[in-house]
Amino acid sequence: MLRKLEKGFYFQALKPKLYMKVFKFLLCFLITAGLIYLLDNSHIVKGNRLPPLGRFLDPFHGFWQNIEAKNDSIPEQPVIPGLTDKVTVVFDSLMIPHIFAENDADLYLAQGYITAMHRLWQMEIQTHAAAGRVSEIVGEVALESDRSNRRQGMVYGAEKALMGMMKNPTTRMMVEQYTEGVNAYIASLTDKTLPFEYKLLDYKPEPWTPLKCALLLKNMAKTLCMGDKDMEMSNALKLYGKDVVELLYPDREPVGDPIVDNANGWKFKPIAFDTIPRSVPEEYINVKKLPASDPTTGSNNWAVSGSKTATGAPIVCGDPHLNLSLPSLWYVVQLHAPGTNAMGASLPGSPAIIIGFTDSVAWSVTNAQRDLVDWFAIEFENDKKDKYMLDGKWTETKKVIEAINIRDKETFYDTVLYTHWGPVTYDEDFHAENNLVQHAFRWMAHDESEELMTFYKLNRAKNHNDYLDALNHFSTPPQNFVFASAAGDIAMRVQGKFPVRRIYEGKFILDGSKTTNGWQAYIPNDQNVQYKNPVRGFVSSANQYPVDATYPYYITASHFEAYRNRRINTVLNESKGITVEDMMKLQNDNYNLKAAESLPVFLSQLDSTRLTPKQAKAFEILKAWNYINDKDSEGASYYEAWWDVLMPLTWDELEKNKITLSRPTTYNTIRLIREKPDLTFFDIQGTPEKETAGDVIRKAFALSVNDIETWKQEHASKDTTRNNTDEPVKWSMYKDSYIGHLLRLEPLSAHVLTGGNHDIVNAHSKTHGPSWRMVVSLEKSGVKAWGLYPGGQSGNPGSAHYIDMLDAWCSGKYYSLLFLKSPENNHAEKTITVNLNPATK
Amino acid sequence: MKFILQVIAIFALAYIAELFLPWYSLAIAAFMMGYLLKSRANFLAGFLAIGLLWFIKAWTIDANAATDLAQKVALIFPVKEKIWLMLATAFIGAIVGGFAALTGALLKTEKKKVYY
Repeated sequence: MLRKLEKGFYFQALKPKLYMKVFKFLLCFLITAGLIYLLDNSHIVKGNRLPPLGRFLDPFHGFWQNIEAKNDSIPEQPVIPGLTDKVTVVFDSLMIPHIFAENDADLYLAQGYITAMHRLWQMEIQTHAAAGRVSEIVGEVALESDRSNRRQGMVYGAEKALMGMMKNPTTRMMVEQYTEGVNAYIASLTDKTLPFEYKLLDYKPEPWTPLKCALLLKNMAKTLCMGDKDMEMSNALKLYGKDVVELLYPDREPVGDPIVDNANGWKFKPIAFDTIPRSVPEEYINVKKLPASDPTTGSNNWAVSGSKTATGAPIVCGDPHLNLSLPSLWYVVQLHAPGTNAMGASLPGSPAIIIGFTDSVAWSVTNAQRDLVDWFAIEFENDKKDKYMLDGKWTETKKVIEAINIRDKETFYDTVLYTHWGPVTYDEDFHAENNLVQHAFRWMAHDESEELMTFYKLNRAKNHNDYLDALNHFSTPPQNFVFASAAGDIAMRVQGKFPVRRIYEGKFILDGSKTTNGWQAYIPNDQNVQYKNPVRGFVSSANQYPVDATYPYYITASHFEAYRNRRINTVLNESKGITVEDMMKLQNDNYNLKAAESLPVFLSQLDSTRLTPKQAKAFEILKAWNYINDKDSEGASYYEAWWDVLMPLTWDELEKNKITLSRPTTYNTIRLIREKPDLTFFDIQGTPEKETAGDVIRKAFALSVNDIETWKQEHASKDTTRNNTDEPVKWSMYKDSYIGHLLRLEPLSAHVLTGGNHDIVNAHSKTHGPSWRMVVSLEKSGVKAWGLYPGGQSGNPGSAHYIDMLDAWCSGKYYSLLFLKSPENNHAEKTITVNLNPATK
Repeated sequence: MKFILQVIAIFALAYIAELFLPWYSLAIAAFMMGYLLKSRANFLAGFLAIGLLWFIKAWTIDANAATDLAQKVALIFPVKEKIWLMLATAFIGAIVGGFAALTGALLKTEKKKVYY
């Protein structure tokens, strides 16, 4: 009692000054704590996520620590639990790792560790994208693409792929060891060493899993073999009838050299079924289809036999064309262990080398165009969609609830129906609000497979038989595998798991109520399109129609390439005494065969007496043009601008229709302009006159010259050094090729000035192009190889190796690849050696 | 004199703390030195010490950089030139350092001469 009184008295006696002091202290303390809290967390400001400023800008742990010093720094001799023996890694001047292990298990563990060291963020974001999980990191902006990926069954496919990987003890070892390596690297990360993008977006890497390896392969399959036009073709069939469909969208265009021309040489008994009827849908299909991958994505590869080369050794060349991005798509590595010595391009996130060479063979891939997607019309019992009709029975659908976590928001739940065929991608909640019938998605890449085994074996191949054996394991995405060996063989094989298709099967929507409408059998591997050592002395592929007309299976695809393949074959046919430099020149060839075939036709439609001065100048430039899309070419700019207007103007009626339709191919458009100029499609919609091809060409010309003039003005206003709008419009500047960072952040991306374009051997368009160029000379004295890609080995924008190969790539130069026999430094190049050590017990 | 000593002490202690601890350990360093070496301008001492520490560290890293990531980050923010990014870096550290030092100093009651 007394104490209480004393206390009260004491407080009352406190001087106001002390109150003030306590208050000031508390205020100051709260401000400090508040500032730390504010600066240690990320905030959304005007719709943009700001990184946590204190953590991000702290020069001791923040992004400043991702700025690498001038001298390459590599962590020294890390100890990695899980290794059974010492692994030596030699980094060359391009930061390419040459990994020397004592056994396979250590080899793939080290590959995982080293790849993650340079590419962890990219590996994770790409697999997050495939799994439909980007919203977790960037918020609601990614919800649409996350839903798309989930509704296309990407995870469903990856889980099946994982089952295949885990059944085979070898591929299981590969993915498990690789996973352990990636996780060893993740475990070694600190606040300081966390990759740049994690700091910027304020999140942390999660453990790697074998499923992520599978997701990565599905991502590649999505890019390469998800294209189809079933809905578009069914609508066209209903709208225009059979004859127009044949005219606009022939399965096989009358053009070009097939990949394998073995007329009447197919001596096997093909699997055959009764045909199924081509069904015309009752209603138009009204679906806002998800964007397909760019149809100009493609690739080149070829091998010339020793009989055509200067050294007498075969040469293999490959340049896969993909969407160019940063960090680079490929990661070059040499993998050496007892029984294997291979080098080449690997995919960050997958063990083994995908395109490359061993000390005896080399191989490369291009995409094998083939329809591996079917859409089946589903008849549901009622609006609940619990059951659907299959073979006369109401069969239960499987409802998968996809939970998409969104950063700073509530989880989004999406119900996806699965049928016998696959997921119902589009429904009333997604891209098909007014569509009457719903369709299930059947995709080859949803099936179990074991592609990794192909690469395991190719990485150890010694001869043509090993190559054939390796390819037997490969299903999707189907590829044209070019091959040559130091022993002197060259070969090509179109490898994939291809359904035996009945005529027209897969070109149109199918009736999903009968299982017999699905794939009944697959083409046996030995009946796939292939040959070895053809008389012409070379093999080549460029995504064209695969085979001559005597091949006994029906082939259809969303598109085939028509120009690059003919140019490559013309050059190779004419060449003798071929050198490595000749092959590099061919990979960088800018001859525009499409222009050579179409421009004279277009120009003949112009009346030179009725042109404006600007048009007359364009006319003169085009007439004098040599059909080469070089960097500085002006004719190329005018031609491409013309084509870019002409194509959509020609097919404007297809776009005006509200139903889903697709444009005919470039080749077929030009053919129709030449051969059927009076076709009703050339009538421009919304004008009273009845136009012909000539009118469309003239109108497109006038519009394209305007486009160029607009470009010139915009360009002159942007670039103060060029105040004269009469300067030539150089193709490289007009094209303005762009290699974007995966986060679409302009300062981390690169604009480059190059020639080429789609439909040209040097297929560098605005966004797509040769993502890896490789030339391998298989000399008996030792395999020699050259290669590079538009980027660099490090994914860190603060590294000297982020884009160090880009300049050479743009100017068509190559790096000689260091192919080591042992880790000992007995070569001229400056290297850094790092030992990865097993944990001592 | 005491002020300069306090600046140096905060600078040094924050430097050591940051080698082992997260970024906000600088606040503990500034707080401690605000308390132990209380001067007439505690906020300024913390502000200058951490501002200098962060600026010098960022500047040194950039001076020795293999690529111009600092400039790229400056454009992402966007502040046009990397010198602004360095100054922003210094300011962010400085403001926390300043308040932390002041808080430390305020905790300390002046020794009063007590007569019995």
